[in-house]
Amino acid sequence: MDFTGIHDRLSLIRAPGLLGADLPRKADPANKSLRARAGGPFVSVEAALLPQFLRVCRDDPRLCFEMLVDISATDPSKSATELWVNVSLLSVSARQRLQIKSSVPKQAPRLPTCSGVYPAANWHERECAEMFGLVFEGHPDPRHILLPEDWIGHPLRKDYEYPKTYHGISCE
Amino acid sequence: MGIVEHSFEDNVLTTKVDWLVNWARLSSVWPLTFGLACCAMEMMAVGAAHHDIDRFGAGAFRATPRQADLMIVAGTVNFKMAERIQRLYDQMASPRYVIAMGACATGGGPYHKFGYTVVKGVDRVIPVDVYIAGCPPRPEALLEGLMKLQEKIRAAHVIRKPALPA
Repeated sequence: MDFTGIHDRLSLIRAPGLLGADLPRKADPANKSLRARAGGPFVSVEAALLPQFLRVCRDDPRLCFEMLVDISATDPSKSATELWVNVSLLSVSARQRLQIKSSVPKQAPRLPTCSGVYPAANWHERECAEMFGLVFEGHPDPRHILLPEDWIGHPLRKDYEYPKTYHGISCE
Repeated sequence: MGIVEHSFEDNVLTTKVDWLVNWARLSSVWPLTFGLACCAMEMMAVGAAHHDIDRFGAGAFRATPRQADLMIVAGTVNFKMAERIQRLYDQMASPRYVIAMGACATGGGPYHKFGYTVVKGVDRVIPVDVYIAGCPPRPEALLEGLMKLQEKIRAAHVIRKPALPA
């Protein structure tokens, strides 16, 4: 996969919000600390410009990412002040993948919805919203998708407190 | 059959009401058709030809709770499903029986500690007659559980009044 090429093209056409790229790393057996950051390369994008960025990725003929594979989020730790949002794109025609990472402050985890660009984002965003408390502004259908509608809290946050009881059923 | 033996015509059988009713009940324990997780795969295997739960009279999986006698809770019960299970159980006609199949239905299983939406045992929602261990249990274990339930039915008293609660 020619990730450097994708990144060059993205910077060339000045894709909005593009902050940088983590270029693929060669394995270094001497430096064990690199293992902690193993994984594919990614680009960082400002959360507010995510839909615009995705529109470029979808429409630019040199990138042509037809598919949004996943939107997920990460709560790195209890003390962290930011939540990470991860978007995976796939181009079937150009045989390439792209990982996009953004971060939003935990205090006000708001970002614009991407479901206008990729309809597949709709359900992924609903899941992220209930699991992490992210608010996707402008989402066409902001209901819960997996949890009951009256569920309290966001279970995948590190500071989540388990319920003691739910609808009269003890959880102890 | 004691003193009444040979006192009727040849085509008259004598028996106890308890025995007859219990025999009828335990020989046609019709389960409710539903599965919640991977245990349901084992349950389907038990229903298929090789293990063949129909040998025990429990092969007629009914698609409505009103025709079912047995609820096999095969899989993980979460809070969203617990309300549905409770409603299905309420819709079943008495006498009704429940088998908690596998670790999840028995006590939450692998989700006991961190499963935020998993009910830690279906017995918190409905009464359970037989618990089956395993994750998932072998088909033989489900058959064993069914036989245990049949033993339980066999020991029931039909026309005796139940003891008043103390």
